[in-house]
Formats: sequence, structure tokens, C-alpha cells
Amino acid sequence: MKRSKFLLGTVSGLTIVANADHFFAKALAEPLLGGSAAGANRVLVLINLQGGNDGLNCVVPHGDDAYYRYRPTLGIPKSNVLQINERIGLNPAMKSFKALYDKGSVAIVQGVGYPDPDHSHFRSTEIWQTAAPDRYEHTGWLGRYLDEANLPKNNLFNGIAISQVLPEALVARNTDVPAVPQINGYGLISDRNRAARSAYSSIVEDTRMPFRSPYLSHVMEIEDHAQKGSEELPKLIAGYKTNASYPASPIGRSLALAAQIVGSNIGTRVLYVQHGSFDTHVNQKGTQDRLLGEFSDAIAAFYNDLAAHGNDGRVLTLTFSEFGRRVGENASRGTDHGEASPLFMIGGGVKGGIYGSNPDLTRLNMGNLGFTTDFRSVYATVLERWLGRPSAPILSGNFSTIAALT
Amino acid sequence: MATALAPYNGPWNQRLAAHLLRRAGFGGTPDEIARLAGMRVGDAVESLIHFPSTDALPPPDNVFDPYSAGILPLARGRPGAMMMDQTSRQQVLMDVRRRSRESIISLQQWWLQRMLTTPAPLQEKMTFYFHGHFTTAAIQKGVWPSYVYQQNQLFRNYALGNLRELTRNVSKDPGMLLYLDNATSVKAHPNENYARELMELFTLGHGNYTEQDIRESARAFTGWTIDRRTGQFMDAARIHDDDPKHFLGRTGNFTGDDIVNTIFEQPAASRFFANSLLSFFVYNDPEPALVNSVASLLRKNNFNLAPVLSRLFRSNVFYSDRAYRALVKSPVEFVVGSYKLFGLKQIDPAAQRGLVQMGQVLFYPPNVAGWPGGSAWLTTQMMIARENFATALTNSPAMATSSWLTTVPMNAPQATRDLIRTILQNDASGAAIAKVQNYLNGVNTSALGMLSGENYQERVRGAAYLTMAMPAYQLN
Repeated sequence: MKRSKFLLGTVSGLTIVANADHFFAKALAEPLLGGSAAGANRVLVLINLQGGNDGLNCVVPHGDDAYYRYRPTLGIPKSNVLQINERIGLNPAMKSFKALYDKGSVAIVQGVGYPDPDHSHFRSTEIWQTAAPDRYEHTGWLGRYLDEANLPKNNLFNGIAISQVLPEALVARNTDVPAVPQINGYGLISDRNRAARSAYSSIVEDTRMPFRSPYLSHVMEIEDHAQKGSEELPKLIAGYKTNASYPASPIGRSLALAAQIVGSNIGTRVLYVQHGSFDTHVNQKGTQDRLLGEFSDAIAAFYNDLAAHGNDGRVLTLTFSEFGRRVGENASRGTDHGEASPLFMIGGGVKGGIYGSNPDLTRLNMGNLGFTTDFRSVYATVLERWLGRPSAPILSGNFSTIAALT
Repeated sequence: MATALAPYNGPWNQRLAAHLLRRAGFGGTPDEIARLAGMRVGDAVESLIHFPSTDALPPPDNVFDPYSAGILPLARGRPGAMMMDQTSRQQVLMDVRRRSRESIISLQQWWLQRMLTTPAPLQEKMTFYFHGHFTTAAIQKGVWPSYVYQQNQLFRNYALGNLRELTRNVSKDPGMLLYLDNATSVKAHPNENYARELMELFTLGHGNYTEQDIRESARAFTGWTIDRRTGQFMDAARIHDDDPKHFLGRTGNFTGDDIVNTIFEQPAASRFFANSLLSFFVYNDPEPALVNSVASLLRKNNFNLAPVLSRLFRSNVFYSDRAYRALVKSPVEFVVGSYKLFGLKQIDPAAQRGLVQMGQVLFYPPNVAGWPGGSAWLTTQMMIARENFATALTNSPAMATSSWLTTVPMNAPQATRDLIRTILQNDASGAAIAKVQNYLNGVNTSALGMLSGENYQERVRGAAYLTMAMPAYQLN
């Protein structure tokens, strides 16, 4: 395990306050000064539409009669669809998102999936997060990116998950990614007890530990990050001012925090946001329309906020869902677990439009849509054209990129 | 390596007794540690190996079984496939899932409580080991709580039993048959999922078999499914592939039992389990020579675990510097061990929320490979969850009434010594110890002598938290 020089010789995992200012000043200066390299200052926001978003009622093939045959009650009437062209359009709940599309800020990638699709939420989510459909991998695709990207090792915020628990996509071997569900209440409870707080952070280094352990330096490093990071993050982003108004939904709050982190220039390259649950086996319409509406309004507010601070051009948002849903609706006005589905790329670097093949409802595999774009091609595109890294080592293979990014 | 497994003859004390209890159990109360330290090493180990009967311990009170409750009809291989119309089917399934989740929460609580209070900690530790080894996740694929409990009891019954026999029984366990799809594997369409994981993750490890061995053994396992009348294992001859198979160099009309037996004849099987047991109980990346020694011990004992673990827990290598504090506590070890440490008798249901945040939820391993452990437990978010659990525990009402913390003397040097010794077996740096003493003394706050008894207790709880925040406490 490679550790930064800062930590060598440190033995107590409890914070060294005397060094903290220096530590942060250094960590923060680096990404700002290093500005001109390929991909520098660019941010990727990954949004997980958790539970399996029904692609056909999100990007609606309103020009296809087969769609209405498979969806006698759930099919969205042609006149309600937010039409993109004579074949497809968006769910009527996505008006603000359609406006972004019309501005050329959205790429829709059709038919994304992977070979031998797994219909389990757990396994398919894991496959998308680890980018490893054929094996069990403990690191995520963005975790591997963070490890490989030569980012300042002493910046604690190279990646941030806006979630309760660190998602697998951001699990890395050498990079620790904090999971921050919200900024209020984030951190150590003990910090609210000032005396304990100061004792915790003032225990100094002493190399004479009466045991040795291969994990000792790693434990100390993470304890240090937990304490220092959770104390510093709220301060570092406190100066951000915005007039943007976000919808009062969980994804609205998450994206407001994402814009605040981006706008505070703390070197963050990857952010993760969760939205759902899209697992609509029963009475799908109400749930999916609400979730897509929340997504659409929150994304619009997010890019308004970013634009007001001149940050919209450096933030790319990518959505994914573990699978689409069965083409035929079930008898409960819902849909069951399916396979390929569309995803969105929004914002910086995007060449707006439709990519990949529209779904072919005449050729189903056991009632499911086959994939036409491997999800790793989308990841390769983001890694190479946005984050400026070779994708093969991260994805364990060569995947062609798609033209959706400039 | 020649002496690695020889009996340990060095000094025997509370520090090493606590080490033994952390590894072979979930830690010890101060009394348990003192009791083992007062015995000879061999006797201490034997007291864990030859444990008393645990049959009288209370069973879980909510084991939901949708079949015997008459909510779901059984259908072979696909419990839940039903004759009713789809809308009512969805409603019924949603109800089953809700009641299953409630039941699983109750089972989790029951198991944590059992880990804490059992008189046979090694039995629970091995059950926990097997749960992470022969993984099955609850609820998905019809692994209802009754199956989860059944599998948990299977692991417990074989805690120190025969690995080969356990593996044969795991292959017939309804939860496993569902989780890895063997229940729907028929002659016409053999499903390779179980055969593959059996060899890759459970017994041999990648590289010790071929894709052909997977296909052939999958054929041998066809017909091992679930009886639609009982919900239990049955060997359905009608869907079993009765033709000859070629497996690991042999040819015959093999059954699933033959496959498991053949696997255990491979030298790779003993090495695989030796490596797995050493990594779980001693240290990660054990030397090949040590793996080979333990592998040969497994073979010599016909894969019976009791004599092998007895030898391991009495060995030089187990008490070596390399082994001491060489593992990262898993969240379950961290939580149960913390209750033990303070002598608390009842796991607070809120601890389960902490375990979710720390990344380990019983009966929900992340995938069939189980919890990766080691560095995977060391993320900022998991560490914050651990520290916040320690804060909550030290400030809990039970701590103020039932733990030894209330008897810590009102004297900072003495109190510090007690805390560092009892919580960390003195595994702290001198400077860190001084800081705890300063905290107790009240630098920049009221001096110790000025505090009321109540405020002093609060100060002691803060010092206990600080001691638990030291690096050694994260290590097993």
C-alpha cells in the first residue's frame, strides 16, 4: 500500500493539528496550480438511477406501434410525449430536461448493456459499478481511475460520494473517498464535545508503538482522514454563494451540494449521486413520473447553478441504472426486471443528440431488449475524452469510444 | 516454518489471552480474559475447542417461512411461481418481502446477541467464518428467512466438524440451491453457477480446474433441487443427468457427492482451506510453507477442524509478533467485541444501523465472494461510523449502569492505566496515553478534583471513547 510521504513516520492516527493548515494549503494549491493538463479541473458527476429505470417510458419510442402493443396501459400517448423526432421523445415529466436537450447539452445513448445480463439488482448493480461483468472485482471503475490519475494524494476530496455508504464505483485501492450524505451532521459525533475533540486531535505521533501490524499506517491514515476531512469539508465549501433554487427533493439537495463542492474548487474530480428507487413492479406510472420529474428539475437547477458560476463547461454528468425493464408490461401496471436501456450524458463536453441504435422491439430476447452499446464503451468515452486517461487498464480491455463528447 | 506450528511456550498473560479471545471468538470481557490468562495456554485453547452444549440457548423468535405460513405455494426450484393472477401475485410477493425483511432484522439481532453471550464463542466465530465463505444472501432468489436460519444452523452444527461433509451438505442446502441456481438446473439445461463457485470460491481457487470440469460437474449436480411438498432438498432422478462425466481426471457416472469428494482429494483443496483459515485467524498472505504445513495438517486429520484449529491456536505462529494485531476488525467483530469489552449483556438494536454504515450486514454479503475484509474496511465513511458507534456506546444508558466503567477510580493516572489496559491491552503509544490522562485531568476545563461524581463519570466515558479511537482498537 503506497502511502504519502506526509504519513510516513506518523504513528498516532489521531490528528496532528499543528500540521493541518499547512497540509490543506498544500493539498488545495496543487490542483489549482496544475490547471493546464488534459482533463484538469474537469468534474464527472455520476448519477445512479437505482432500482432499474424503465428506459422505454423514459426515452419513449412513440413512433413504434409495437411499443403501444407491449404497453396497453403504460404506453405514453404520442401526444403527451416530449418529442425529439418522429421516432422517439422524452417522458412528459421531463420538461426541464427536454429544454436542456434542445440547447444541445444532452446526449442520449440508446441500448446500453452488457453480455449475459444478470437480472438481480445486486449483481447487476455490482457489474455496472465495477465494470466487471465476468468476474468479482473489489474496486470500482472510478476508484481505479482515482488510483491511476496522478491526482494529489494528499487531497482528501479527489472523489466524494454524496451518499450514506460508499458506492462500489468509488472503491479504490489507494484512494480514500469520503461518503457525505449531507453536510449538516457529517462527521464525528465526538467533535460536538469540545474537550474530547481537542484531545482526539492533539494526540501526537510516537513511533514507539508496542506492536507492529501491516495495517497500522493505513488505519492511522484513515482515522486521520475521517477526523480532518469531516472537520474541514464543511469549512472549505462554506464560502460558496448561490442564488440557484433547487427542488426540495433528495436529488435536488444532493446536486445542490455537488454544485457547492464543484464551485469551491477543492480539487474534486468525481462526484456520485443516488436517485430512486425505480424498481416499479406495481403501478409504475406514478412512481416513475415523479422520479423522472425530480431528476429533470434537479438537473436543470444544477446546470443553472453551475452556469451562474462559470462551471457548467467543466462538469459532465453521466447517468446509469442497473438494467432497464421488461418490454411487455405486467398485470400490475408495472414492469419487471429487464436488460438494455438508454443513459444520459449532460453538460460539459457533450455533443447533444441521439447515439447508438434505437430499441428494436421486433427482436426481443425472452421479452427483453438486447444491448447495442456496451456500457464499457460509455465508460471508455468518459475516461478518455473527458477525464483524459487511457481506459484499457481501468476497464481491463479495449472498448471503442462513442462520439458523444467533443 | 518447522517450528511455526509447534506449541507456544513463551510467556502467557492477559494480552495474549485477549488476542486468543478476539481471534477464536468476538473478544472477551475483562473477567473472561483474566480467567483464560490464569490457565495454561493449552487448557485455555481446549476450553474454546471443547465447548459446552449450546442447545439450551434461546432460538430466534421470528423465522418467517412463507410456505408453512401458507402464503406462498411451493413449486420445485422456483418458490413463488404461483397459480394466482398477476396483480394478487405482486401484492402477495410484496407482503412476503416486507415480512421477510422484518424477520431478517430479527435474525440479525438474535445472532449478534448470541455472539455476545454464547458460552461457545468459537462455535459462533466459525459460523461467522462459514457465512462469509459459503455465502448466501437473504431474500433475493427466494432465500426466505427460514432458509437463512437453516443454513446458519448448518454452519453452527459443523463449526468444528468435517469440512468435506459440510461442503456436501452446503451443496444440498435449500438457501444455497436457490442462491446459486442449482435448484433449477436440469439435465437438458445444466446451470453452471453452483459448480463454478463451488470450485472457484469455496474449495479450490481459480486455476485448479478447467472450464470443462465446471461443465461436467454442473451435469453431476443436476437434479439436486427443492421438494415442492416439503420445501427441502431432494434428489430428483428424473432431471438428473445420468450419463458419464469426466471430472478432474476421472470418468464415471458422478453425483454431486462424488464431485465434492473428488474435490477434497485434490491437494489444492487442503491448501485453499489452509490459506483461508490462516488469513481469517492468523494473518494475511501467509507464507507458502506455512500454508503447506496447515494443508498437510488438514489432510492428516481428514479435514476435521477441531484438531487443526486446536493446533493452530496453541502454535508459535499464532502468538508471533507477525500475527499480533495483524488483522483489521470486521464491523461485526468491532461491534460485538465492544459490548463484550464493557461487560454489557444486551446488543442495542440501534447497533444494526451502525453496522450498515460500517459496511457489514449479516445475511447480506456483498456478493458470492463474501466480505473482502482487510483494507476494504478502511474507508473514511466506515471509520466515521465506527467512531460514532463508540461515542454512542460509551454514552449509552447501559454504560452508566452496567459496565465496569462506573468503577474506574477517581484518579487520573490510575483511571488512564485501567482504560488503556482493559480496552487496548496496553497497545498504545506513551504520548497517546499521556493525552488520555490530560483529558481526564481536564486541561483547559474543570480539573478532575473539581468534578462532581456525575461529571467525573462523563469525563471517564469520554476518555473511554478516546481510547477506543486509538489505532490498535481497529485491529484484531
